[in-house]
Amino acid sequence: MNALEKLFIRIVQRVNINLRELEFDAKPYVWDLIPKNQMTKFYAFYGISPDHPLNLQFKHSGLAGSYFLGQCRVSNSLLYKCDVRGDELKKKGDRFQFKNFNIPISKDEEIVIEDSAFVKTLIHNFSHDPETLEKFFIKDTISTHYANIHGSPSDGCFLGPFSTVDLTTMRDCIIGTFSYVQAGEISHLNIEPGTVWVRSPGAFNFLYRYPIEKLKDYIYFKAGIKPQGILMDFVENRKEDFQRVFDVVNIEPSFDVPATASLDRYAVVRPSTRIGENVLVSQRAYIENSYLGKGANAQENCYIINSRLAGNNVNAHGAKIIEADVGENVFVGFNSFLHGQPENRLSIGKESIIMPHTIIDIAEPLAIPAGHIVWGLVTNQDDLEAHSISIAELSKIKTRFTKGNMFFEGSGENFVSAFQDRIHHILEANGAYFNSHDNSGQGHAQKNQNMSFNTIQPYPRGEYEGLFPTIMIQP
Amino acid sequence: MDEYFIKDLMVPISEYATVPVGATLFEAYLALEKAQEKYDHDKYRHRAILVLDKNNRVIGKVGQLDVLRALEPKNENFKMFEDISKYEFSSQFILSLREQYLMQDEPLSNICKKGAQIKVEDLMRAPTEGEYVEENTTLNTAIHQLVRGSHMALLVTRNNEIVGILRLADVFAAIFHTMKKCEIDNQ
Repeated sequence: MNALEKLFIRIVQRVNINLRELEFDAKPYVWDLIPKNQMTKFYAFYGISPDHPLNLQFKHSGLAGSYFLGQCRVSNSLLYKCDVRGDELKKKGDRFQFKNFNIPISKDEEIVIEDSAFVKTLIHNFSHDPETLEKFFIKDTISTHYANIHGSPSDGCFLGPFSTVDLTTMRDCIIGTFSYVQAGEISHLNIEPGTVWVRSPGAFNFLYRYPIEKLKDYIYFKAGIKPQGILMDFVENRKEDFQRVFDVVNIEPSFDVPATASLDRYAVVRPSTRIGENVLVSQRAYIENSYLGKGANAQENCYIINSRLAGNNVNAHGAKIIEADVGENVFVGFNSFLHGQPENRLSIGKESIIMPHTIIDIAEPLAIPAGHIVWGLVTNQDDLEAHSISIAELSKIKTRFTKGNMFFEGSGENFVSAFQDRIHHILEANGAYFNSHDNSGQGHAQKNQNMSFNTIQPYPRGEYEGLFPTIMIQP
Repeated sequence: MDEYFIKDLMVPISEYATVPVGATLFEAYLALEKAQEKYDHDKYRHRAILVLDKNNRVIGKVGQLDVLRALEPKNENFKMFEDISKYEFSSQFILSLREQYLMQDEPLSNICKKGAQIKVEDLMRAPTEGEYVEENTTLNTAIHQLVRGSHMALLVTRNNEIVGILRLADVFAAIFHTMKKCEIDNQ
């Protein structure tokens, strides 16, 4: 047994100790998920630019195929084809508002990953925990394919495939397959697969539970097998396209990219794609035969195929849009799967909100009216009516509201404004509002243009095979 | 309170309602009725049934709430309420959902059938560590155990054998009897 296997065993043990109260054993779920023989096969890489901080430290870790940006420390961990984006972290001198506390940031924030293992996971944003504002920690945690740890410090947790924890500190929790949690702070919870939970204590509480048998067609995961289903097939079928962009050193886009837009060299773009001004296409995004209007973005693990996005569209990490016409200012949440057909297209009216982890999979044309909020599993018009409400109607809810498997308590107005504020903030951070005349409103779309990438390699053989040497990268 | 001893206040197990494991809910009720008939009518009524294993050892207790809980509808909606309770909805919200769904189901439908079908072991609760008290323990300690555990009764033991039940109602009565006596003495 080499050092990498010993490390993996210890990580699994740490997670199991944390989750003992929930009687969870992570080993049968993950032992074969991290391909130990492939940990030498892929380089890791990091971005450098004049517009981003640079402080990366790696110690006793496997980093195969993973990408790093900004400020991040990784120790005693295994990362397989992950993205760790430390470019939205707080800076020394910033102030953080939490309820009535206006908290000064005493030093630059870091992402600190310890004793954890991740497969194809995205780690991004910044710690929203007022108790740990300078340290976005992730320890004793395992996450699986296409999970998102977004602004969510974690201690002793397990995340199933296509799960997302967003702006939530979690301790000793299991996040089920395809579940989305945005709840501020959670501990000792076992979140069942297919749960979409958005809670702001004292303001609102939204819960939707997928019919589990139907969800299994899209994503299914149990001990001893790899994640399966339509979502996995969809991304696996496009894996080779990504292989090419990772194998080639210099890659040039095959079309004109506006000077105010950013197309990451680790994105896949297939003909005939056009992108407008202030567009952001992140690494590991996949665009094919589509138009992205001014200010639209395609974040990590987004797939946009045969679709037209009118502009100022937020497509959150892992969102997939196929054969769709999407109006202006539409938000498509994390890991959503919007699947039209060439003859049966999906259209989404302007300013609609597609909740995180929504599946729209249609065999007949479907039109979502403007200004609607949609959640859950939608396969036809009847489903749409059962899983949507106009934003104007939702804003009138003052106490409680239920519809099918969706439960809502609190102020609809607060819920809507929380989403709208966040959408505005994301567009702002991504540079959608950049004005080239006065250079105002710079965001990722502009700052990412001056990015170079360096690669680092693991030990190819021997005791430390698959692990990287201790590396410190600073300006 | 020094004049009271646990063994004086407890109900001997021979006078308490007991059923063997495997008995139905209806049989448990008959046992309760029978025990009550034998019991002094001036005293508080029994409210629970003890479940005995084949060696006549107490393995569980069935209280009134356990019975009502067992008779509640156990359909998919019921499970859903259990599940969503952990997602921090208010108790009023859960209650309103329950009322909404209970209107679709008659809670006491098929009560005769349920009474014959439900086995006591399916609704009994095993006594916890804090529910046992030695018969020679002071009453003050027993009161502390009742209060701390919010128990309706304690199982009284002698040499690890259960010999009786110390009921909250009897302890309560003893306390007020003492208070009343103090009042009279002070006059």
